[in-house]
Amino acid sequence: MEAVGAGEEEADEWLLLSLRLYKDLHTFELQAPTRVIEWARGNRVCVAGYGQSGGHEILQLLPPPTLQAKETQGLCPERDFKVECGGFSNRPVYSLKHVPDTSLLVTSGPPDSSLQVWQVSAEDSDVIKSVSAIPTENGTGQPWAKIATISARAPWVLHGSRLNSVQITEVESRKNVYMAASRNSEELSGLAFLDCNTLLLCCAKGQLCLADVRQPQSPLEAVSVPSAPCGERWCMGVGRGPQGSDSSFQPVACLSSGGHLTLTDVRKTSEYLASAKCRVPSASSGAEFLCVSWAPALEGCLAISGFDGTVHVYDTQSWDSSGKEAEPIFVHKGHAFGEWDSSGGPPLVTVHTWHPQKPRTLLSAASDGSLHVWDWVQSCGKCG
Amino acid sequence: SYLSVFCLGPGAGQDVGRSCILVSIAGKNVMLDCGMHMGYNDDRRFPDFSYITQNGRLTDFLDCVIISHFHLDHCGALPYFSEMVGYDGPIYMTHPTKAICPILLEDYRKITVDKKGETNFFTSQMIKDCMKKVVAVHLHQTVQVDEELEIKAYYAGHVLGAAMFQIKVGCESVVYTGDYNMTPDRHLGAAWIDKCRPDLLISESTYATTIRDSKRCRERDFLKKVHETVERGGKVLIPVFALGRAQELCILLETFWERMNLKAPIYFSTGLTEKANHYYKLFITWTNQKIRKTFVQRNMFEFKHIKAFDRAFADNPGPMVVFATPGMLHAGQSLQIFRKWAGNEKNMVIMPGYCVQGTVGHKILSGQRKLEMEGRQILEVKMQVEYMSFSAHADAKGIMQLIRQAEPRNVLLVHGEAKKMEFLKQKIEQEFHVNCYMPANGETTTIFTNPSIPVDISLGLLKRETAIGLLPDVKKPKLMHGTLIMKDNSFRLVSPEQALKELGLAEHQLRFTCRVHIQDPRKEHETVLRVYNHLKGVLKDYSVQHLPDGSITVESILIQATAHSEDQGTKVLLVSWTYQVGILENILFKHLCS
Repeated sequence: MEAVGAGEEEADEWLLLSLRLYKDLHTFELQAPTRVIEWARGNRVCVAGYGQSGGHEILQLLPPPTLQAKETQGLCPERDFKVECGGFSNRPVYSLKHVPDTSLLVTSGPPDSSLQVWQVSAEDSDVIKSVSAIPTENGTGQPWAKIATISARAPWVLHGSRLNSVQITEVESRKNVYMAASRNSEELSGLAFLDCNTLLLCCAKGQLCLADVRQPQSPLEAVSVPSAPCGERWCMGVGRGPQGSDSSFQPVACLSSGGHLTLTDVRKTSEYLASAKCRVPSASSGAEFLCVSWAPALEGCLAISGFDGTVHVYDTQSWDSSGKEAEPIFVHKGHAFGEWDSSGGPPLVTVHTWHPQKPRTLLSAASDGSLHVWDWVQSCGKCG
Repeated sequence: SYLSVFCLGPGAGQDVGRSCILVSIAGKNVMLDCGMHMGYNDDRRFPDFSYITQNGRLTDFLDCVIISHFHLDHCGALPYFSEMVGYDGPIYMTHPTKAICPILLEDYRKITVDKKGETNFFTSQMIKDCMKKVVAVHLHQTVQVDEELEIKAYYAGHVLGAAMFQIKVGCESVVYTGDYNMTPDRHLGAAWIDKCRPDLLISESTYATTIRDSKRCRERDFLKKVHETVERGGKVLIPVFALGRAQELCILLETFWERMNLKAPIYFSTGLTEKANHYYKLFITWTNQKIRKTFVQRNMFEFKHIKAFDRAFADNPGPMVVFATPGMLHAGQSLQIFRKWAGNEKNMVIMPGYCVQGTVGHKILSGQRKLEMEGRQILEVKMQVEYMSFSAHADAKGIMQLIRQAEPRNVLLVHGEAKKMEFLKQKIEQEFHVNCYMPANGETTTIFTNPSIPVDISLGLLKRETAIGLLPDVKKPKLMHGTLIMKDNSFRLVSPEQALKELGLAEHQLRFTCRVHIQDPRKEHETVLRVYNHLKGVLKDYSVQHLPDGSITVESILIQATAHSEDQGTKVLLVSWTYQVGILENILFKHLCS
């Protein structure tokens, strides 16, 4: 009748420690692990399954009231996520993006680089329906597509698995509105809209490229940076610059599987803005879950994950370009107390994201199905 | 065969509904739970039993009543049902439930009648009389309600004594979960059931669309609140019911105090310790292993940091934490302490559970900050009011786990909002290939079952049938001939010959005879010859014979001709066959008529 975990004592220990480390902490168990946490309309959160076995679910969750309010209200008994809607995907979901100003979601995943479009209509039914698929030419056998969405001129999805397959499709009509002029078949690790006309593409090997949507014929402009350590896999995170600054100044953070973090200004690419080395174990899973993201409400702060069961938060304001080791200002260790997977390893953090308004609140998910929401306490100077 | 399920009374859309479900299985009627609706103040709080019968005694219509656990939304209407409406049949529940129910019912009665002055309510005597009808059961014990109906209780977790029940008639069964949870906690284990493959699993689904924050984080929140209050010199009051979470919370605080080396005193009101000790002693097997180990080593409530409370302590200055009964602040020690501490904003009261309307607990949880006490005194509540929900229910993941364990053929979910459960319904249907029903209250759900009826087949018949040809194939049912003998409660399939022998009967042969009129002026034997030649020509696949006595046979069909009594020009063919012939007679008639 009882399942006493091997690590129950340690878990209790960490819980007591957490009283000092976090202002607020919630830990949830999803039925299946997710590698996406995406904010959707009305502060909803979307997660989706990616495992090998079929029947992958896409869930749209309503966060507990504690997460919705700006300040934590006095009496807040509700601590749970509510599953508002769910859908069934017959392929694993490796990437999920909400299309702004719509109730549509776009997903991608193996075995090819096509996209699936979903409709969320929470009012009359709680089922997320598959609406259409966006196929890609010669997409079979290609790696899964990376996605970014925007709703400037119309709801658009930017997608592609390699530099030479980068394109923009209008979500509703499925019409192709842009195709990158490149013959380079470098694999992509991420892409983003810097604004409604500018695209930023990140290759798995670390190369960054810019493109202008209005000039589809011109080749992609490689953002030349000092050579980064090779043999590593890279991913990027795009953020907003500090308040009051030039709105087109957007530092791009690049993270490698070896723990190197570089910050680049896409306008001034001859040198790094800053660079540091994170004290992380080398990514055991081959950098599948590497994730770096800027804090939307905490100047100069970013978070990284994907190396182990932790999420590191760094303050980059004091960084220089020497590339020396940096100390995180906070490390979330909660996922390490989860269940170990069948191969005998501890859980691995698959993805994390920041709360759009609450400055120190993050959501993180791990390979054991755990989903944590945490609001850490800024310790003065030292690492907690 | 079919099962039908009917959920009594309103409850959907409310935060706390009531459970009262009627199941009709193979001619037996069972009532599952008999809860009070906590949101209503009038008769609407009771289920409407007129659905069962408008007149006539309920005892005649129900074979038994089963109560899953002691929460009032599952047993609160029991005395009303048995004593005021009238039911004298058996009421089944587990031993802890039987011990605890009357206490809660009496508390509830006191609040409703004495505090709120209501009249149409059950009395203390009625509670006692009702409990006399209770038959207590053990876990995994098969209880024969009557010759055909049997029930069995399974561990449900949730609260002390909570059980899931299997109801079985012959080979048809229903499992009712009551409230349950699939994750163990500090003092109770997780629900468990074997692969009993019921025709129907009725599961609560209040939290089906919820992903619950872990127990640990709720505890953390609790500790944080207590710690913060004590740090600023405030006092924390935790009203508890003796058998609820008190034990768990104590263990938690004790661990925390030890680890953090805290000095503020923690107290336990004595009434609490005695009662709780008593019940835990009785029902130790219902708690989880950790508690059992602790209990064996020492008295449950012997803590290093937690001491017995004395009312004088409430006036001591400085921080402290006190656990006191009753849980809803409606009387007694917890209310006394509350009155002393309510005026200071440094203090805190943490309500650990749901409070019945009319209690101080309910009022302050609803936001009331000025309370009218005895003698028209107004009490201003400046202390912080917090609510901690520790109740353990199954979420979607838990429901899936239970379905996986029990392997039911159909699933029925109660207490959810059907519109918002389409996804869960599809999920269950897809993963387990079963039907999932979500009836509204007041709706009857009929579920068709395929009961398997075991029949003994005689060896001789079996040999004969298998000798004929191919081996039996599950996908292609084979047609066989036999005689079904139903005697006493057994079914036997034997060959017709053996059946006749056993019953001492002789076999009869049925022959059907039909007249066909033919216009033919010739003599009879000439008509017969004509018919014979014709049939021989057209029925080449069949054996057509002309017998010496003037009759024709086509296989086993006999044809004779006679002259029509009144008209010499018409001949009457008598066509006679046994019942086994079939198609042949159709072909024959076609040809004869042509």
